[in-house]
Amino acid sequence: MWAKALLAILFALMICSAFYFQPARKRSLLATKPSDGPRLRLMTWNVGYADLEDDTRAQTRDLRAVAEIIMTHDPDAIAIQELSGDEQLKILLGYLGGRYRGAVARPGNADRVEAVLVKDRAARFEDIRADGKFALGATFHLRPELPEIVLVSAHADAFSAARRRAYTGELVEWTEARPEGTIVFVAGDFNFEVAVKDESHLYTDDLKHDSEAYSYLLKYFRDLGRDAGDTAINDRRIDYIFGPPERVLLRRAEVLRGAAVGRMDHWPLLIEVAL
Amino acid sequence: MLTQLMLELFKICRSRSVHLSFITLIGFVGLMLWGFYSYAERKTGGQATEQFKYTYESKNYFNGLTFALYSVMFSFSLLIPIFVAMVAGAQIAGEARTGTLRMICVRPLSRVSIFLSKFLMVAFYTYLLMAFFIGLNLLAGLLFVGWGNLELYPGPLNLVDEPGKIMRDEALWRFVYASLSGTWALLVIAAIAMLFSVLFETPQMATVATIALYLMFYIIGRIEFFEHLRPYFFTTDMDFWRDVFKPSIPWQSFYHYGSICGAYIFGTLLLAITIFSRKDITS
Repeated sequence: MWAKALLAILFALMICSAFYFQPARKRSLLATKPSDGPRLRLMTWNVGYADLEDDTRAQTRDLRAVAEIIMTHDPDAIAIQELSGDEQLKILLGYLGGRYRGAVARPGNADRVEAVLVKDRAARFEDIRADGKFALGATFHLRPELPEIVLVSAHADAFSAARRRAYTGELVEWTEARPEGTIVFVAGDFNFEVAVKDESHLYTDDLKHDSEAYSYLLKYFRDLGRDAGDTAINDRRIDYIFGPPERVLLRRAEVLRGAAVGRMDHWPLLIEVAL
Repeated sequence: MLTQLMLELFKICRSRSVHLSFITLIGFVGLMLWGFYSYAERKTGGQATEQFKYTYESKNYFNGLTFALYSVMFSFSLLIPIFVAMVAGAQIAGEARTGTLRMICVRPLSRVSIFLSKFLMVAFYTYLLMAFFIGLNLLAGLLFVGWGNLELYPGPLNLVDEPGKIMRDEALWRFVYASLSGTWALLVIAAIAMLFSVLFETPQMATVATIALYLMFYIIGRIEFFEHLRPYFFTTDMDFWRDVFKPSIPWQSFYHYGSICGAYIFGTLLLAITIFSRKDITS
């Protein structure tokens, strides 16, 4: 009888202990010290559709809603992926009422393009060749007296991890060549599958390629949206904004869930940093 | 009780399935060593750096600790549970099949003591298996691959979300912790196997039922479609043992999932003992 009673007590103790040690919420950004520095707000958004659609590029009919989301959150610069071309950019800029300047990257070997929208009227845009396609970099100032800022809009291959790795390598090489003092941000849909989901799995080549590409980025950048959660359907965090590890203070990182329009499979990621 | 424990220890030491488990693990380490050695040779031979700008797979990365970590991680989910289920599943049902259970139960010793002494020996065997396997991997790693720090990267093994490092001496302690946390996690399987051993008349049935249940939860838990079911499977909670290999151990979560495993262990044992105490033994 005593053994059964002991087991019952241990069983109850374990249940109580499990409740007592319920993992706490992750550290809150709200607890960090406020900074008096000027704030920079950046957004990345893959506005394309899910694979189930015939045309998975952005749909022109959605652009008005996209513009509304952008105006509501008022970012200083936005990296956009999967526009079908220059025409859609012009329509989007039109909906934004002249508040932003923008450009699209050269199509390269893809049927969709990356774009960057910036508030700064003096922004410069530059194509970045990486793995046979083009990302787009925008160089701008938040204020004339502040250092130059570069925002890269990138979209890595969705199907080949090896190509994602090669693409990332060339992109990082480009950012490393920026003049000293420039604050570089790399934003976009990288399609990395490196999320820790409290599960074990066996080793695959794809996983290793993504791991190496992501680790390479983290050698030079900080993953600013890491605590913001999933950015795409099926609980995937594949959209990132990478920023300098020390020169900026992260004030806010948020995935705007509910912002997706039509059959988009990504949500925008918004971050705010103090310079 | 002490005599009973000694008897059970004697039985376990003579059990062929116990010998088989140790021999299989030695074979597994041999295969892992072969694969790891050739992979490391290839990856540090210049091929990877020709194609890509960056690789973390350097000579520093491939060391004995990395080898031991991969080997332990790979075998823990699919290999070691089979041996634990096999040995635990044979405890009561094995005695029933050979006709000795009835004889044991007529001795002036309570059924609860018999059951608990058997479970304690299974727990001892499980720890021995884990400790032996980890020790063997570290030894093989030291002799054939060499020492170094334990470098961790996001993705493979799903341990960290940013690159991290555990220094050599600290990493060795982490392996010691892993032998304990791994044993605790495996005791969930041992307890289930003991329950099935009480319920079924043959050790084969008990073992197969345990492995089937474990694999069913393990597989379903790995399919994205059923992600919402994952929190309800004991296989998800068992994964807590790996937390000791994170650069900074998340103690809160470690204790939480360790406690859930404890609840599974003691709850299942309580059920098994209750059934065993009332069981009509006819063989």
